[in-house]
Amino acid sequence: MSTLKVEHLTKEYGDVTAVDDVSFEIEDEFVVLLGESGAGKSTLLRCINGLTEPTSGSITLDGDPLSGSRAEVGMIFQQHNLVEGVSAYLNALNGSLEHASTVESLFQWQDRSDKLRALEALETVGLLDEAHQRVAQMSGGQQQRVGISRALVQDPSLLLADEPVASLDPSSAETVMDYLKKAASQHEVTALVSLHQVNIAAHFGERFIGLHDGQLLFDVGPDELTPELIDQLYGSVETVGLAAQNDDTAAHEHGATGDGPLVDDAPTDHGSTDGETADDDEGRRVEA
Amino acid sequence: MSSESPDGGLAAYFGFARRGTSPAEEKLTDMKRRKTIRRLWTGLGIVVGAVLFNYSLGVVGFSLAELFTQIAFFIEALYEYFPPTTYYGVPFVDVMQYVEFMIEENLVQASLVTVSIAFAGSILGLPLALFFGVMASERVVPYPFNFMFRATMSFIRAIPALVWVLILIPLGGVTPFTATLAIMIDTAGYLGRLFTDELEEIADGPIEGIRSTGANKPQIVSFGMLSQVFRQFIAWIAFDLEHNVRVAIGLGLIGAGGLGLELDIQRKTFNYTEMMACIILILLLAGSVELLSQRVRSYLRDDEDVETTGFITAVLRAPKKIIASTAGRRE
Repeated sequence: MSTLKVEHLTKEYGDVTAVDDVSFEIEDEFVVLLGESGAGKSTLLRCINGLTEPTSGSITLDGDPLSGSRAEVGMIFQQHNLVEGVSAYLNALNGSLEHASTVESLFQWQDRSDKLRALEALETVGLLDEAHQRVAQMSGGQQQRVGISRALVQDPSLLLADEPVASLDPSSAETVMDYLKKAASQHEVTALVSLHQVNIAAHFGERFIGLHDGQLLFDVGPDELTPELIDQLYGSVETVGLAAQNDDTAAHEHGATGDGPLVDDAPTDHGSTDGETADDDEGRRVEA
Repeated sequence: MSSESPDGGLAAYFGFARRGTSPAEEKLTDMKRRKTIRRLWTGLGIVVGAVLFNYSLGVVGFSLAELFTQIAFFIEALYEYFPPTTYYGVPFVDVMQYVEFMIEENLVQASLVTVSIAFAGSILGLPLALFFGVMASERVVPYPFNFMFRATMSFIRAIPALVWVLILIPLGGVTPFTATLAIMIDTAGYLGRLFTDELEEIADGPIEGIRSTGANKPQIVSFGMLSQVFRQFIAWIAFDLEHNVRVAIGLGLIGAGGLGLELDIQRKTFNYTEMMACIILILLLAGSVELLSQRVRSYLRDDEDVETTGFITAVLRAPKKIIASTAGRRE
């Protein structure tokens, strides 16, 4: 139960304006952030999380201005950013660092409730049995789920995720997104998730925010996410145009993905158009 | 050579005369010329090396004649190093002489002193190494200030442990106590530097991950950075312990106690058999510490590249490593 309010947020790196006067307000929703690589998605999330200082504008959570990193905002990273040499449990427990002193945390003298919360968070993402395993020995999808559990242990009121499934295969990606959505609804947190894959976004999102060249392009509900909007967002990418015309293919693919809230005919995966997710071949590019 | 070139002669052979006009022939000439020039430089290098070598031999007074006259004494000494005897008619080294001396002089006690110097010195130096190592990392302390700590460690390393003992003599005389202090200082410089290097190579992601949870600065350093290199640190500690045992033997040679001191006494009194007994014990000691530390390190290494060296190979390789490292080289 929380409200994130972003007002006139601008972030400049030297001459480059990464985020340009963006304003929106979200409340208790699962919001997906869409946009090309370099559109400012990561910068926006990092500003909200306090990993980067915005140049101007304000960010408030339930009326309180957000500055610096804090436990109320949980963050899930594309490369999970876990400590690989230690167990999943200890990584999840790291989520409780803020309300333990340095000495307490060094000797693992956290409250029993914190420790139980770490294990419960791992249970939420289906990894309770693997809690003792070292993260380095886990698969990419499992690692990302540990990342989710660490964010949950922070007991956040806002959950941010920066392309959480960009480096996963389609099946792991769907599992991770399922757990992410389940976690967000169980803990009743507002979630803001940036995604590359429009089909995954359409399947899981309750609301969609599109960024283009740092500016807010659209802020719509599931019914309003049209192929035209996607076209505007990604420019004239050929495969997008084809997919929009080829309704049958798109509809068929959505049927295969699951029975979630179908957003008319979201086009095919755009991930393959940029280098970051080149290995993330969803096999859904429509042949010309 | 003479079969070459009816139409170019020597100059063509060395690539200084043109033989044909096609691009391939010109390239061939060009390459021959390059090769000739390279050979000339190599020749010059060999000549310079030979001159320097000759000069060095002169400086140290190296003389083959001296070797020839002395070799008889050396062979005589070898009989004392390795006293011959026969076991059931088979000639062999009289091992019992060594053992008797080891028991008589209580060399086991001396070995214990050596190991104690190394162990106590390492443990005392560990917190210092950790402090300097972490503070010298640019990721913990911003650029100009981390150099204060780096410089301190460089200064410590510039002075060998042998010299540290000499500097510390007023504190505790030439004793095992002073040797321990010297090893403590040496450890702060060496192990700290190894820690710093290890910290420079950690990934940014986990640090950012910990930062995003709202952790404070000491927590970011411990959980985001040190937890990434924990295993490597343990491995380096094992390595440094092994190194310090060798240093402690060296310190004994200048009188700071333990096995090295015993060796020095026997050398000065020309008891070659007893001296060899000390050396054999040093080999055993350094070898077993090395083996132990190596097993610890390969156990700690990431599971993917577990060391597959068997026990026998490790034993066979140990003497070579010991010689290399007691010669002052660090692996």
